[in-house]
Amino acid sequence: MEAAEPEKSVIQIFTFSQEPDWDEPWNSSQVRRATGSGFVIEGNRIMTNAHVVSWAKQIMVRRFQDSRPHLAQVAYVGHDCDLALLEVEDETFFEGLKPLPIGVLPEVRSVVNTIGYPAGGEQISYTSGVVSRVELINYVQPGNRSLLAVQTDAAINPGNSGGPVMMDDQVVGVAFQGTPGLENTGFFIPPPVIQHFLKDVQDTHYHGFPQAGIRLSPLINPAYRKYLKLESPDLGARIDTLMSDSAKEFLREDDVLLEANGYPVSADTTILYEGNQVHGGIAFSQAQHNSKVPVKIWRDGGELELELPVFVNYKDRLEGNQYVPPKYFAYAGLIFTPLSRDYLSSFGQNWSSVAGIGLLYELFYRKNTEPERSRTEPVMLSTVLAHPVNANMEIRGRVLVDSVNGKRIDSMTDLIKAFESHEGSHHLIEFGERLGFECLDRDAANSANNQILQTYGIQLDRQL
Amino acid sequence: MIRIFSSLLLAALTSSAVLTVKAEPESDLWGRSLVQIESTRHQYEFFQPWSRRTSSNSKFGVVVGGQRILTTADYLFDHTVLRVQKGGRGAWYEASLKWIDYHANLALVEVEDTGFWTGLKPVKFADPVPVTGEAKLIRWNDGRLEMRRLEINRLRMGRSALSYVDLPQLELDSEIDGVGWSEAVVYQGSLIGLTTSQARSKCTAVPSFFIEKVLEEVEQQRFLGVGYFNFYWKKAENPAVLDYLKLEGEKRGVIVTEIISIPGHETRVKPKDILLKVDGFDIDITGDYLDPVYGNMMLERLATRGHWAGDKIPMTVWRDGAEIELEFKLATADYNKEYVPSARFDMPPEYLMAGGLVFQPLTEPYLRSWGSEWQRRAPVRLVRLKERRPTEENPGCVLLSLVLPDSYNLGYQDYRYLALDKVNGMKITNLPELKHALDHPKESFHVIEFLPGESVQKMVLDAVQLKSATQRVMFDYRLPTDYFVGSKDSEP
Repeated sequence: MEAAEPEKSVIQIFTFSQEPDWDEPWNSSQVRRATGSGFVIEGNRIMTNAHVVSWAKQIMVRRFQDSRPHLAQVAYVGHDCDLALLEVEDETFFEGLKPLPIGVLPEVRSVVNTIGYPAGGEQISYTSGVVSRVELINYVQPGNRSLLAVQTDAAINPGNSGGPVMMDDQVVGVAFQGTPGLENTGFFIPPPVIQHFLKDVQDTHYHGFPQAGIRLSPLINPAYRKYLKLESPDLGARIDTLMSDSAKEFLREDDVLLEANGYPVSADTTILYEGNQVHGGIAFSQAQHNSKVPVKIWRDGGELELELPVFVNYKDRLEGNQYVPPKYFAYAGLIFTPLSRDYLSSFGQNWSSVAGIGLLYELFYRKNTEPERSRTEPVMLSTVLAHPVNANMEIRGRVLVDSVNGKRIDSMTDLIKAFESHEGSHHLIEFGERLGFECLDRDAANSANNQILQTYGIQLDRQL
Repeated sequence: MIRIFSSLLLAALTSSAVLTVKAEPESDLWGRSLVQIESTRHQYEFFQPWSRRTSSNSKFGVVVGGQRILTTADYLFDHTVLRVQKGGRGAWYEASLKWIDYHANLALVEVEDTGFWTGLKPVKFADPVPVTGEAKLIRWNDGRLEMRRLEINRLRMGRSALSYVDLPQLELDSEIDGVGWSEAVVYQGSLIGLTTSQARSKCTAVPSFFIEKVLEEVEQQRFLGVGYFNFYWKKAENPAVLDYLKLEGEKRGVIVTEIISIPGHETRVKPKDILLKVDGFDIDITGDYLDPVYGNMMLERLATRGHWAGDKIPMTVWRDGAEIELEFKLATADYNKEYVPSARFDMPPEYLMAGGLVFQPLTEPYLRSWGSEWQRRAPVRLVRLKERRPTEENPGCVLLSLVLPDSYNLGYQDYRYLALDKVNGMKITNLPELKHALDHPKESFHVIEFLPGESVQKMVLDAVQLKSATQRVMFDYRLPTDYFVGSKDSEP
């Protein structure tokens, strides 16, 4: 019996992946095998989740009821929205497969079906459930981004990731994550996010979801509304903090956001989006990177209309999960690498406790509390590979580098330059935070460098 | 049946034998010098600073000259009633605190009733204190004098139990449970220390040579408090560091890495100075000096070896390629000179409540409300403020710690743990400044601004309705007062 059409276009994905070791950044983890799902869309491409193909060394895809594997590769990946597009080397792979059309955001209470290849069996699997709610949630793949997502009680299990969520033969979502501890709760990425991703890659480069660069605060207290001379009791949320340069150029603190991208903004910071009350931030993430979003502002007792430029915030990448191999620089056995969430998570399950307040503050807080003292890319002395040239150093790693040879270290580039341009007899490495400093004899360090790389099996002294 | 009877008889004889054995002379001696102290104390709840509970603790003290009882300062803070008992049983006598120093972790207790002193005998202090060998721990246990064996491990410098200063400590090995309540540690008939803490099989005691010196100062009414070196240093075990600093001659000394700035206190050493000599003693590359009595000791000992807060100590430092002599003034240990005070004793938590908004100074006791893992559980921004050093202009920090919901503060109910920057345009570093600022609204509003990086930057309140809202919230939430700043004697 011939299968119904959508199943034919649902693809099983196998990956062999290898993640970097963030603590010893020249090393990698063991090769891991995993499976996921995907589906064919227009243009002979397979849509899946970014997390299905992250760190993949090899990707293989298999059609419905066809045991032949085909090699595939990532054409575009959007880690912030957990979506990816794959291309298959063998063009015949797509013969007879119909692309699945992308539908619209489903309404709550409507019935949806998931199709995919979840764990627990080899064959395709179907589950069905209702749309429970639509709201902004934290996407686990980036770890520090919230985008629109749909919650359903249809079972979404490991292996379902990347598979389509269907309604009336149209894709209304890409299954992507669950919530540990909550039963019958799965989430899928809805059409507005999918369409944004597809539009973004039309210029052959993926940029990401932009942000307004502001922090909205509820404006409920009548005294505050009176202070700002607002007439409406419930329209408009307060712009509490300006975080991006463009926001600082166009907006002021205590401006009230009345309308964003055509959506009236309520006092509690939400907008009514397709019948769902969601955080107003969505009005800005609908736009593409480097575009303008029309906003209506209340300022000094009057209304003002502005076109607010919005950009993808690349500055906070280190705070989320990264999907590029870690940078490092190895010199005289001292291994330097950027401070990042991935680096800290290499400390183990209780990484935030092990890391301590100092590193957490540096990575996640300082840019807001002391922007003048924050660093673009804080650099860690991650470890010290023992050798007579460094054996007497008291500090053996996991500390933030403040300066090298008197030069403040704001990035890995600064660090390497500070070492390589120095001509004095000793290198001075200062750590701050009560840790003081260490010194290396420059000639001895230079002489020992290659030998140390060889001893510890490090192929290259740097990766940037 | 016979067998059972025999066993019972044997048990009875044994037990009777224990009970009827006469105390050894040493037991006699210590039984007349060791007393039990009961301290009933307030325990404050910093998340609701107007509430309090009480608890009682039992600890020990030893009789010293002048009809006083010496004990550790721990568990005497915030006390409401002090009582003492001699002989491990019988009547309790009302007592009062004669003198206390939390940094030194020592206190003197007085008893007015002269009957109490009958039969009691002051202890003899050991000087020098043995640093190896077997000592005894002595305490009252259910009416009996318990004398247990301890192994003296070493004399070292360690963080004082209630302070941030390092003081000499006797480290003792012991399998005894529940030690650290100022039990007497004795050696050959003399007191060598009072216990302060226990971690697994190790316990610490404040040594008698330190106690004796403090008591002498107190006796002479010239005790200025414990002094300390207000800088951090690192060992000079990496010869490259000493080469970099161009130290001539043999490798020696330690390197100053950071100065702990204290408003109004001049610190004459600088980062990257090499400390070569302190108070005439050579400092080796691990930070030790050779004490004529106790051997190798960490240099921090030299801040309390016959010196007190404010004393000037000669130092030889290596700076910019040359040796220089200087006088280092010992800093005074003082919780009030910290941006976030690490302790506050004998005073209920301070607060100001306005319209349901509760403001409190940021203190370590407040942060400790998050439990034993407070450094991990309390908001990172607040814990991080512990690192901040006070300045003349910015000596402390006030928090909006919680909001008691009321119609007046609608929309702000979830605001909490926010560090204040300004109120009505005035910088806020303490509660009196906040009170003053709230007396000066901006037209008919109070504008409250928080430190950069807080989850919200600003809030506005109606100034006209504030007073009535405050009265209403006080009534609804049963607050005894809307403003408490002061000392033990000015409780709300």
